[in-house]
Amino acid sequence: MDVEADVTVIGSGPAGLTAALHAHESGAKNVLLLEREEELGGILKQCIHNGFGLEQFKKDYTGPEYAERLIEDLGKTNVQYFLNTMVLSLSPDKAITAVSPEKGLFHIKSRSVVLAMGCRERPRSSINIPGTRPAGVYTAGVAQRFVNIDGYLPGKQIVILGSGDIGLIMARRLTLEGAQVKGVYEIMDYPGGLKRNIVQCLNDFDIPLYLSHTVTEIQGRERVKGVVVSKVDQKMNPIGGSEQFIPCDTLLLSVGLIPENELSKEAGIELTPITKGPVTTETMETRVPGIFSCGNVSTVFDLVDYVAETGMIAARNAARFAGGDWKKGKNPVEIIPGENVRMLFPQRYSFKDDLILFVRCAKPIEKPVKIELSPLEMRLKRLYARPNEMIRLKVSRDKLKDVTGPIEVSITER
Amino acid sequence: MNVEKKHFTCIVCPIGCEIDVELQNGNVVSINGSKCEKGKEFVLQELEEAMRILTTTVPVKGAKWAMLPVRTDKPVPKRLLSKVIEQLADIELHAPVKMYHVIVKDVAGTDANIVATRNMKKVNQRKDAKEAPVSRKEG
Repeated sequence: MDVEADVTVIGSGPAGLTAALHAHESGAKNVLLLEREEELGGILKQCIHNGFGLEQFKKDYTGPEYAERLIEDLGKTNVQYFLNTMVLSLSPDKAITAVSPEKGLFHIKSRSVVLAMGCRERPRSSINIPGTRPAGVYTAGVAQRFVNIDGYLPGKQIVILGSGDIGLIMARRLTLEGAQVKGVYEIMDYPGGLKRNIVQCLNDFDIPLYLSHTVTEIQGRERVKGVVVSKVDQKMNPIGGSEQFIPCDTLLLSVGLIPENELSKEAGIELTPITKGPVTTETMETRVPGIFSCGNVSTVFDLVDYVAETGMIAARNAARFAGGDWKKGKNPVEIIPGENVRMLFPQRYSFKDDLILFVRCAKPIEKPVKIELSPLEMRLKRLYARPNEMIRLKVSRDKLKDVTGPIEVSITER
Repeated sequence: MNVEKKHFTCIVCPIGCEIDVELQNGNVVSINGSKCEKGKEFVLQELEEAMRILTTTVPVKGAKWAMLPVRTDKPVPKRLLSKVIEQLADIELHAPVKMYHVIVKDVAGTDANIVATRNMKKVNQRKDAKEAPVSRKEG
């Protein structure tokens, strides 16, 4: 069986759902959405907490409500979607091979493609915690799925390593379900998650947060019996003599997310080690013409609103590409990190659209900062800069039209 | 005179303003550090009665998944969160459930309702041609 489409979106989380809707709204006639699982919505289905869509819809939705709203909107369009459909390969000329129980192995020919596969959690093996290998070590997202969808409590006495938002949210969730969360341990000297989550997920429930601490050993044969935590020095090395044994039956890991780019690699799409996602322009086009990428497959965002926004941009441009309204135009210029910039996205500017730029600083500055885009005569101001909070900037196409060389971004004190 | 100082981190938006409040004999005399009016409102509310939205799950039978996500339809007093959770302990629903279906009215005397936050279909009623057969919990 062969399928043809104008725009094909891979993945139906917040980025993919938004992209499919906006590809349709931008005039693409034949939009196809592919989802590996048995229902649309991706990770939103298990994120039962509120705080979704504050900017996009001016509403305080939970993850499932946010997904249902997009799914409902999608139902009013003629966008086709295939569930239980796993994309096996994507070629540089945009040929997709997929498989599903209904259709078996099949091929899709699409004028343009939007990548929206999201990200994965970093597992225990990526941070090399010494010790035994008992049951009871889970990533925070897996525990979230167990509790919120399958109805299992992963343990009763819980230690959480890493203070990313999912870890903080799970600290509250497990407490509400009757488990005892003994503490959240963070290797950095600042928390990974948003401040509001520290307050409403930890402080509200008297759960302690230990900064500059890490787990240095897991103990237990069949099941986790406890973990050893240690203080770390400024180079993040454990300090000898600071070890403390914490009895527990479960260790949750909230130690970061990695964009899921197996398909992108196969399509010959250039990735960057800074975001671990594709190199893209402001249109979200990757280095392979007609393949766009958006959401957490591009770079791990803090807010779903940003994920959705990149989905809209990618979809609008994928629809233009599919419709033949895509001129080569001026050669793109690079956007490069300067002083105190750890991450930026997108990495190129191609003079086709306004630039929505996402940057993350390297070191926190709790004072008013200026963000400069040299050589542009522009200084954007913010009240502070924190590595755990992405900064979003908008620069109009008009201001960028005369740029010839690379644009260097810096974040410094005002 | 009885002077008291309190500190709050605002949770209204992701900025998280650090707000200092000074009270004299229980009356607010100054609020500093808030970047917007909502922060001031938040602090006044926290002083009077801290309010939170509660989100949790309840078991559902006859559906694709074991749990149905639910929320309070408005903020409830923080001190009553455990009471709300307790009141949900014995609830078991049967699919289908519609989003925003009221599951408990006036939960724990808070005047808030517990509502479903998604649609949950009954598993054997699958006439939607777009949907493929169910395979429960693989891996």
